[in-house]
Amino acid sequence: MSEPNVTFHERVDDALRDQILHTALNRATGRFQSLRLDALSTLRDADAVRDRARIIRAHTLSRLDAYLEEFAAKVESAGGHVYFASDAQAMNDTVREIAKVHNVKTVVKGKSMISEETELNHALEAAGMRVVETDLGEFIVQLAGETPSHIIAPAIHKTKEQIGQLLHEKIDIPYTDDPAKMTAAARTKLRDEFLNADMGISGVNFGVAATGTICLVENEGNGRLTTTAPRVHVALMGIERIVPTLDDLSVMLQVLARSATGQKITVYTNLITGARRNGEVDGPDELYIVLLDNGRSKILGTEVAEILYCIRCGACLNACPVYREIGGHAYGSVYTGPVGAVLTPALGGIAEWSDLPQASSLCGACREVCPVRIDIPRMLLVERDQAKRAGKMPWWLSFGLGVYSFTVTRPALYRIATTVSRWGSRAVAAPTQGWIKTLPPPLNGWTRSRDFPAFAKTSFSRQFQKGHPNSIVEERK
Amino acid sequence: MKDEKDKVLSQIRLSLETAHLPAARATIPPHNVAEAGDRAEMIASFRRELERIGGLSYLARNDEEAIEIVLNLLGEAGGKDLMMWDEFEIPVLGLGDALRVKGYARLEVDVPRDAEGRRTKLAELGRAAAGITAALAGLADTGTLALVTSAKRSRLASLLPPMHIAILPTLRLFDSMAAFFAAYPEVTKDASNLVFVTGPSRTADIELTLQRGVHGPKFLQVVLLDY
Repeated sequence: MSEPNVTFHERVDDALRDQILHTALNRATGRFQSLRLDALSTLRDADAVRDRARIIRAHTLSRLDAYLEEFAAKVESAGGHVYFASDAQAMNDTVREIAKVHNVKTVVKGKSMISEETELNHALEAAGMRVVETDLGEFIVQLAGETPSHIIAPAIHKTKEQIGQLLHEKIDIPYTDDPAKMTAAARTKLRDEFLNADMGISGVNFGVAATGTICLVENEGNGRLTTTAPRVHVALMGIERIVPTLDDLSVMLQVLARSATGQKITVYTNLITGARRNGEVDGPDELYIVLLDNGRSKILGTEVAEILYCIRCGACLNACPVYREIGGHAYGSVYTGPVGAVLTPALGGIAEWSDLPQASSLCGACREVCPVRIDIPRMLLVERDQAKRAGKMPWWLSFGLGVYSFTVTRPALYRIATTVSRWGSRAVAAPTQGWIKTLPPPLNGWTRSRDFPAFAKTSFSRQFQKGHPNSIVEERK
Repeated sequence: MKDEKDKVLSQIRLSLETAHLPAARATIPPHNVAEAGDRAEMIASFRRELERIGGLSYLARNDEEAIEIVLNLLGEAGGKDLMMWDEFEIPVLGLGDALRVKGYARLEVDVPRDAEGRRTKLAELGRAAAGITAALAGLADTGTLALVTSAKRSRLASLLPPMHIAILPTLRLFDSMAAFFAAYPEVTKDASNLVFVTGPSRTADIELTLQRGVHGPKFLQVVLLDY
């Protein structure tokens, strides 16, 4: 997990000034949202399916140790190998060892968020291997030397003109801003890589405990090629991505694509059970599944365990008013948006990531769209509390809240304070029709784009005692 | 390696003592999977869904019609090299002979296990103009094909060529994936690879503009055998 090198607020300011980013974000997130709504409307009894999906996730996690053991045993009896990795280092070491054993020089990769989490590409490149991302969006982001900005659409922050220029410079094709020509050029370039690669690395959407099957969903076919063409297939999987049975898998698949891209189902839903069997004519000779913990087993014992229900559809990103303004890179973390704001501090420590849970207005849109109904706002509050306990609250906020709690717990002082602020604010606002144009620091940020109303002549509790229901309106005039 | 497994599992067990998991239950309630629907309706739904996402379908009422449809499609694909599943896996009598008469050559798919042989074979298969497969099942609610690997059924035939032609008897249509799994509970035991294919390969990674035929086939043609 990468450390932020500039502050969160600096990255947010940069993002807010970036007009191209804004246009791209608005187009993409808006479109994803309407596609999602259309797709859910085609699901018979969508609410019941989402409830069921939530129960499946919750139940599985409540018996995760048993399901993981069942899964590992079934994979092995189907001829695959299973390794556990307690942290990022362990996973990268394991993958590097596998590559060494099989004399691997070139690696093709399907989309895997986990490999971003452990920075696997760097580890393999440092060991002298060439690593090629094959999902079109990931390929573009890799050529640009950047990181993905959206779980589902990694290159969401780039315009077609920027991508055309990038492909022209990096894979030596004539400049074009035609997505069809760019896609065709990438296909040709990557087809070569697929057919010559020694090892394919993929992510995993779900692992089925009862059968030892891994499920990978994708649209391009790069996932199929990654897991079919090279001699060795390495699948990277978070320990939480288990479902008990194939039937449970079918339920999860009903909500995953609909929530992610608005498709009823992705173009390719790969179910892989072990490596190429005796007699089969193609497929990899070896299958390795690496199960990554990296903090997840600890999260399971905390108040934010519910974040492990996440199936990485990205719907909460598209719905979030904060993400829609600042985009993925401003978070400075691998997992972005509302889910990232909860997951990142949980995985990487609240001390380093205390700003992320603040990046929300707690509007609840994320909980509303989540296919498994994760209560993200609740957990943001839990983490804000943790941040405060860790001494990571902004000084002006903790000072302000300190003054506030000191005052409201002392009735006499409270009365004096409200009287002073009532008359004070009315005096300041008198020349400007009852609105305060500029508040003193540190509150001036609030009035930079808004006015603040002066307090009413009579306080609410006073009016309440007098029993005039309409007096609020009258008093304001 | 064993240590890592123990480390992870024991931390999970420790955490489960205090885990706060809303909605968790001891068991998952039974799943009511819809009864098989009316076949005509399933055919109509399958074709509608497939076309919505850019696939094409054709209805054949006998083997001769099916052969004619396939030959026409191959004419569009151009090229004489094919990746085709074993003849006995394709439930259209006489298709193999008809293809031989027309001069089509079936590329042998048996990818060698050594690195160099593998490269050479894959490069050779890259020439194929079309792949012909037969689906184990179709899912009516999404227009999806279920393809299963075996000794005579390659993964690559539905993946490498620009056109994929799939044969699907309408008797093999199911309402949904859940209904398919209920009918074939052992399907993942028999083969290393089961892939659900729903339409031609696509991406929208450049400004969300839809592009077909990224890494997989640009054209998906389904010949429904309604007999």
